[in-house]
Amino acid sequence: MRRTIIRSLAPLAVIALVAAGCSDDDDDATSGSAAGGDTTAAPDASTADSVATGATAAESSTPDSAEEVQTGESILDTVIANDVVRCGVRDDLTGFSVVDDAGEYVGFDADFCRVIAAGVLGDATKVEFVPVVADARFPALQAGEFDVLVRNTTWTASRDGGDGADFLHPTFYDGQQMMVAADAGYDSIDDMDGANVCVVAGTTTEGNVATEFAARGLTVNVLSFPDIPAVQTAFDEGQCDGWSSDGSQLVSIRSTYPAGPDALVIFPDVFSKEPLTPAVIDGDTAWAQAVEWTIFATITAEELGITKDSATADSTGDDPAKVLFLGGANADGVTLDPGLGLPPDFALQIVSQVGNYGEIFEANLTPIGVEDRGLNALWSDGGLQYAPPYR
Amino acid sequence: MLAWAFQVAVVTVVVAVVWYLVGNYQENAAAKNLTTGFGFLDQPSGFPIPDSTFRQTQRVRDALFEGFLNTLRLAVTGILLATVLGTLIGIARLSTNFVLRNVARAYVEIVRNVPLLALVLLSLSIIQTVFPPPQDTWDLGPLTVSNVRGTSIFWYEGDNGKFLVVVVAAFIAIAAVARWRRAVADRTGHPARTALWALPIGAAVTVVAWIVVGLGATAPELDGRRVTGGITLTASYLAALLALVAYTSSHIAEIVRGSIQAVPKGQGEAADALALSGFQRMWNVILPQSMRIGLLPIGNQYLNLLKNSSLAAVITFPELTQVTKLAVATRAPAVPSFVLLLLIYLAMSLVISLIVNLVNRRLRIVER
Repeated sequence: MRRTIIRSLAPLAVIALVAAGCSDDDDDATSGSAAGGDTTAAPDASTADSVATGATAAESSTPDSAEEVQTGESILDTVIANDVVRCGVRDDLTGFSVVDDAGEYVGFDADFCRVIAAGVLGDATKVEFVPVVADARFPALQAGEFDVLVRNTTWTASRDGGDGADFLHPTFYDGQQMMVAADAGYDSIDDMDGANVCVVAGTTTEGNVATEFAARGLTVNVLSFPDIPAVQTAFDEGQCDGWSSDGSQLVSIRSTYPAGPDALVIFPDVFSKEPLTPAVIDGDTAWAQAVEWTIFATITAEELGITKDSATADSTGDDPAKVLFLGGANADGVTLDPGLGLPPDFALQIVSQVGNYGEIFEANLTPIGVEDRGLNALWSDGGLQYAPPYR
Repeated sequence: MLAWAFQVAVVTVVVAVVWYLVGNYQENAAAKNLTTGFGFLDQPSGFPIPDSTFRQTQRVRDALFEGFLNTLRLAVTGILLATVLGTLIGIARLSTNFVLRNVARAYVEIVRNVPLLALVLLSLSIIQTVFPPPQDTWDLGPLTVSNVRGTSIFWYEGDNGKFLVVVVAAFIAIAAVARWRRAVADRTGHPARTALWALPIGAAVTVVAWIVVGLGATAPELDGRRVTGGITLTASYLAALLALVAYTSSHIAEIVRGSIQAVPKGQGEAADALALSGFQRMWNVILPQSMRIGLLPIGNQYLNLLKNSSLAAVITFPELTQVTKLAVATRAPAVPSFVLLLLIYLAMSLVISLIVNLVNRRLRIVER
């Protein structure tokens, strides 16, 4: 009996110690402020002591305050300390992010992970790719399983507000479209009343399809699947009349379709806005700024006409705008450091190792059949890609 | 006195730990700008649910209810089918027929020893492969129309309440017939032959009640690539049901076998001595006594089936877990959503436990 009591005491004692530890923190804080009160009551008593007490109180309360934690431990610091950027991507979408035969992640999104690594760490290879499925991406981002989410994710108000994500600059302006089998007998979405439309679960596409069909006065049954291969199986087996997703994804899927691209037709109607945007966790401004400016750097580079091959020469060339942007010393021998937490030559590293926006686009998306830049052209060419000035 | 002090200490510690964890969560959620609380339940869901009337403009609360109904459909049907199949296989395990006995044994040993998740994935692949594409739909008359999208069967049409009335009427009729036959058997000593009487009478009462309450009926019809009418059991529902029934029935079969073997041998010998047929021996003598032994473990399997039904989420059958995942992916905060999910499963489990315990109380040998 006695032994039983002692045995049951042991874990209790441990928990009690932990609890005591927690409450001690509170005690410190209160005693600290009480001491502060004392010193104001008796200003003549040793001033040095009161300052010391105040400092202790501030220190002991620091770990409890959320703001302190954030400014103190930005992901930027962690990334630099670990010397690697953990990037949440997908692994099933040719052109955006897919694992190639050599086991490397390749694609538009994968390259933007490299852009971030090149900008922050000076080395585009220092990326740890973390594959994540659509419906798990926000919990994973919140849990800190990766530092940045570059997984053709649509920026929406609810995700910005409720999911704890901080969206940066859209890397790709996309829109949802509908793809059907060429022999299905459909000429447009209006023919598809009552159709089964298949999508990937946990994306904005489910709601968009339903909204679009409702707006056209049609009924639809939206079937969702965990990932693209599962949709493809269902589509091949005849479970789906239509396959809806972002236009760029459909182009990619069609380009690698086993029965050949001509077996599928993509309707031209674009029925949603899908700004595909990298996201970081909310409330870490230092990290968000750093990542956002690495993305801007690719756009600015294209705008200035700096390419992967010309970047190194341009950084010491005679165009002052290019030199400034690439972190070279100007005519007076001064280098601009805008205080983004990035090395002054981050743009040079990005462009020379990965390329400018246009090069990244052409290397990854032109091969899968995204024929023109569309909304993703530079603003000066009538598109939406516009970076704030670097100065 | 010391014992009381311990109780108080334990309660205090538990409350403190929970308090600390909840506070910790709220603080971190606030730091990450995550919404907390259950306000999301009244927000529009933003996603439709397949094969239901649920629209993306309806509230998250209603989406969860639709998921709850789908879980219920899966669990109730699964429990019924797994019980029947499991009992048959359990009896077959003890058959004197060599082939039957070993087929049953192989089934149990194989199905029981593989992960359920693998079974779920396998059964979806099987269904996607076996059933024809919509252009080659199997049209098996008014009762069943079947293709890879699902299998549609003849079903009632109209008020659910009326359907419930019909079911209750049929149940009462069958129960009354069973009672009457038992009384006749007790009085005269003739065999009761309950099933022989109850089935036709039950069917007749069903038809009459159906007509009296004015319930409609719809048969599935093929209309191009679509099927209209009837009720459609979708591919993902069938796949989940198949896997759950296969898996749970293999466990129930072992419980049934064990509890049959636990019935004293003398009972079977007594039945033989009374010259009962093999069926009578099993149905009237052995099974009723083995039920007393097997009920609680089988009840556990019912709980398992309910909880395992959440695995249907991997094949995106829109049951409770899948709907919650969709809500979280759309805009609902993760922690409150999943806590709510757990609470709903907990409530459902407790209801099953309650029913099993009530039945157990009734079946228990009354000791004086």
